[in-house]
Parts: sequence; structure tokens; C-alpha cells
Amino acid sequence: MDRNEKLEELKRKFNLSDEDLKKPLPTPTKWSKPFWEGTKKHKLLLKRCRECGHIDHPPYLYCTECMSENSEWMEASGRATLYAFAVNEYGVPFPFMADLPYVVALLDLREGPRMLSNIVDCDPKDLKNGMELEVVFDDVSPEISLPKWKPVKEAV
Amino acid sequence: MPPSGVSRESVATAAYQLTSTTGDGPWFKNQGGVAMGKADFAVIGTGEVPCGTYPERSEFEIAYRVAKMAIEDAGIGKSEIGAILCAVHIMGSEYNTEMFFGHLPEAIGAKGCKITACTVSGGGSSFSIRKTAEGIIRSGETDTVLVVHAQRFSQFSTNEQIKFFAAAGSNLEWEIPYGMTYNAVAAMMTQAYMAYTGTTLEQVAAHCVACRRWANLQPNAMFNKKAITVEDVLKSRMVVYPLTALMCNVLADGGSAYIMTTAEKARRVCRKPVYLLSEASAYSHRNLTNATARFRDMAKMHEFYAPVAKAAFERAGLGPKDMDIFEVYAAYPALALVMMDALGFVEPGKSGALVASGETSPGGKFPCTTNGEALSFGHTGTGVGFALFVEGVRQLQGKAGKAQVPNAKFLIEDCGGGAWMDIHFTVMGNEIPGQF
Repeated sequence: MDRNEKLEELKRKFNLSDEDLKKPLPTPTKWSKPFWEGTKKHKLLLKRCRECGHIDHPPYLYCTECMSENSEWMEASGRATLYAFAVNEYGVPFPFMADLPYVVALLDLREGPRMLSNIVDCDPKDLKNGMELEVVFDDVSPEISLPKWKPVKEAV
Repeated sequence: MPPSGVSRESVATAAYQLTSTTGDGPWFKNQGGVAMGKADFAVIGTGEVPCGTYPERSEFEIAYRVAKMAIEDAGIGKSEIGAILCAVHIMGSEYNTEMFFGHLPEAIGAKGCKITACTVSGGGSSFSIRKTAEGIIRSGETDTVLVVHAQRFSQFSTNEQIKFFAAAGSNLEWEIPYGMTYNAVAAMMTQAYMAYTGTTLEQVAAHCVACRRWANLQPNAMFNKKAITVEDVLKSRMVVYPLTALMCNVLADGGSAYIMTTAEKARRVCRKPVYLLSEASAYSHRNLTNATARFRDMAKMHEFYAPVAKAAFERAGLGPKDMDIFEVYAAYPALALVMMDALGFVEPGKSGALVASGETSPGGKFPCTTNGEALSFGHTGTGVGFALFVEGVRQLQGKAGKAQVPNAKFLIEDCGGGAWMDIHFTVMGNEIPGQF
């Protein structure tokens, strides 16, 4: 059954509207907007303080180390290692049911910050703590692209 | 080898011989403020309704009932109550509005009430509300405060509950769009804890079994009819790997209340008051990704908790070996093992084996979580910590019925909220060390 067929089945089974099956999307804030503008262009940006060099992810209004508002957006390498993962199999909100099973994970960016995301293009059985990951972008709406991660394939 | 044969004393200090992994020296220290008096406050009575699925019992009814029970249990007149504090109802806007605007003093006829307020910090509410109560009593405005928690989830659909709880544990902008749920937060932590410490899923499941054994002795527990085995826990439906259904807590309707007063008044009016001997707190994060350095290494999460527990013990002039009960609140079994790793009665990393040996169950050397907590007593929103606190008071008053730990004198209790955002330890006793 493909995703659309699963959605139709859910609608029938639970008497749901299209609205009920709409996935929640991020609402960018004044200080996170550049991040989401970046992902739309398939670039992973991080907010770095120009005063002390601290990288904040998620970004906040000012640097959480030195409170400076003088910051810049740097492009990240798009590489990370898998720190921890969980495989959702049951009991998720309706909009995500057609995706079951799906993986949520904590991953450590090469630049330092830890990020939460999905691991895609990978059989959950093959997941290993510490494995190398690379970013991919999921264009979930015309406005929003979510950074997701997939295992780095070993060079043949 | 399970550490069940090891004496209390030999392991008591193990958790404290921690070396800093972050190189930041003694990070946990008292930051000043008004010096804490020793055992200035006491609890003199409690009330509690059965926890479970009771759609016909409104949160208002719960609040009225537990308030009355606590007043009667304390043996005071309701006119003595000078302040009434409420925990918020998670998902309940009408109840919250009413409580914000002074509903409860009127509804129970507390005519001497001067102050009413709500205090909330998620699962840490049972601590923050108690600090509010202490502040009011310390101000001199009144010496008697009623604290109430009431929660009803069953009027909401399962999907509404899932949606709400996903957002409670995870950030709307950075986590929810990925299909995060509260269970998934705990599942990731459990996965990392097992992968990096070698703790087995059987050991994690053993805590669920221990909680059920305690709950089976509790008349108000949601699940108190049937025993479960490690095999049952492992074989129950996979919800979010590695967590099976029996490793996930169940939202429930319930509530509890207690009366807090000065230690001086408590001695006058109560046969067996429970003194609040000491507390210690720490905050880590909102987004789990931004957990403090000490929490970031999930093989060593106990290193975040242990210095805080140690501070609480030191402030009470007591140690882990003096505790008769460890009221561990962690909401998920692997996190309960982390908390035990931090409490100084078992060598860090050995909690799984200890729990599997049965020593934290009824009749064991280290009674832990004597009401069965979120896993078996039921998850009542901000109320899990309230229920465990009230159970601790009952134990020390000798009113815990079949779950009573014989001659319990001292215990340590913890609570925290959000996605393990913070931690608050409280040491309680039915006597004050050095005074009696």
C-alpha cells in the first residue's frame, strides 16, 4: 500500500478530514527565519555569534553564551554522526500514521550542535550509534523544507 | 552479578566518587539567597482519589474531594487554611481559568483564605508549588496552606491526548514536524542508555515489573489487579523501539492534595507530621538536543543528577544509607534506572541488575517508587509528582496500608518536568535528625 492509499484508509477508519491528516510544520520566528530560508535552498545554516563564536541551534534572539546580537549564518558541512534513535511503530499523531515505521534520532553535527530529525533511506535494522550521516532536504510544502539525514554510503 | 548481596554502606558512596567529564569543576553549588532553615515546614495530611479512567468524575469534583480528604486527614478546620494553591489541569482550560480566578476557596468554603494561585512547571509542579507554599508561609500571612492537584484526560480522544503530549515533550518548531512523541523522546534516551552502558532491555523491563508489584498494593492505582512479568513487558506491543506498550505510561484521571504548615504548628496539631528536611534542584534544557553538558553523554546521565541528590542529602545531614525509601519519579523505566544510579545506594550502572534482583520491589532492601508511579499508578499530567509526594507522606505517617514499608523514617523523592528539563530532590522524615 503506498502512502496515499494508507491515508485514504485512515480517513475511512477514523472518519478524518484532510485537515486532520495535515502534518504540523514549523512556524519560523524572527530569529529562525534565515534557517528555514536556507533549508528551502537546500542549505543547512547555523547561527554563529560574531563576538564569541558560539553556535546556537536552535537559534535564539541573541547568543545564549554572551548575549551578543551580532551574529552570522554559516553553512554547515551537512555531515553528522548518529547519537541515538527510536523507531516509531504505533501511537503517533494521525498525520504521521501513514509513515510508520519511521525513525527519529539525535545526531551530532560535525560543527558541534546536536539536532533532532528523521533518518531516511535506511532500514531501521541497519541503524548503529555513531554511524556517519549526511543531510537531505524534504520539501514538505512550498515554504518549508525539513533537513533530514541518511547514512553515508561507503565509497565502492 | 546482581548487587543484592552487597551491603548498603559499601555502595552508598559509590555514586559520589564521580569525576567530572566536562572539566568545569564543582558546578553544583548553593547560589545564595535566604539561608534555608532546617525542617521549617511539614505536611500534616493528605487526600487522594483513585487513579484511572473516570470520565464522569470532573476535575472540579476531584479537586473538591481531595481537598476535603486532606483537611479531614490533617484534623484541622477549613477556616485555618490561609492559602490554596492549585496545579494546572493539562489540557483543561475551563478548570484552569476557574482556579486562576479563585474558584476553589469559594467551592470548599475556606473563609479564612487570603491567597490563591496556580503554580506550574510541568512534572516539576509538585516541587514548584511547594516552594510557593513555603514562600507564603514564610511571609507570615498564614501558617496553613492547602495544595491541590486534579486531572481528567478521559474526556479527550486518544488522538487529542497523543497530539497534546507530543507537544508537551517536544518543541513545536524543531521537533514536532518530525513526528516526535513523548514516548519517542524517552525511547531515544533508552536506546542511548542501553547502547552506551550495556544495560539490557530485560533490566529496563524489570522496573516495570517492580512498579506493578507496588501498584498491586495500592487501592488508588490504575493498574492494581494483575501481576506482570519481564516477559509480559517485552512481549507487549512495540510502540516506539525500544519501548513496548508496558514500558510506556498511560494517561489517567486522578488527583491528590495535602496540607502544609510550619513544623512548629505541625507538632502541635498532628500526631505524626512529615518534615521537609531538605531540597536541591537543577535545570538542564527545553530541547533535549540542548541538554546541559552533564546530560549530553547519555551513558552518564546520572552524573547530572548525582551531585544534586548529594546536595539534598548533605543539607539534611543524612545519606543514602539513612533512607528507608527512594521515591523515584522518572516516568519511563530506563530513566528510573538512571535516577537510581544517581541516588547513591547502588553503584552507577548496576541499577538494572539491582531492580532485576527484586530488591527495589515490596519486601526488598531498597524500596523504590512505592506507588508504582506513572507506569502503574497512572500518569495524571503534572500529578505524577504530587501522587508520589503524597505517597511518601503516607509512608512516613504509617498510613500506607498494604504498601507500608515497616518503620519508614526517612525518604528521598524526586520530580522534574518537560523532556527531563529539570530535577528536584526532597528529603523528608517523620523526625528531624539531631532533634529527637
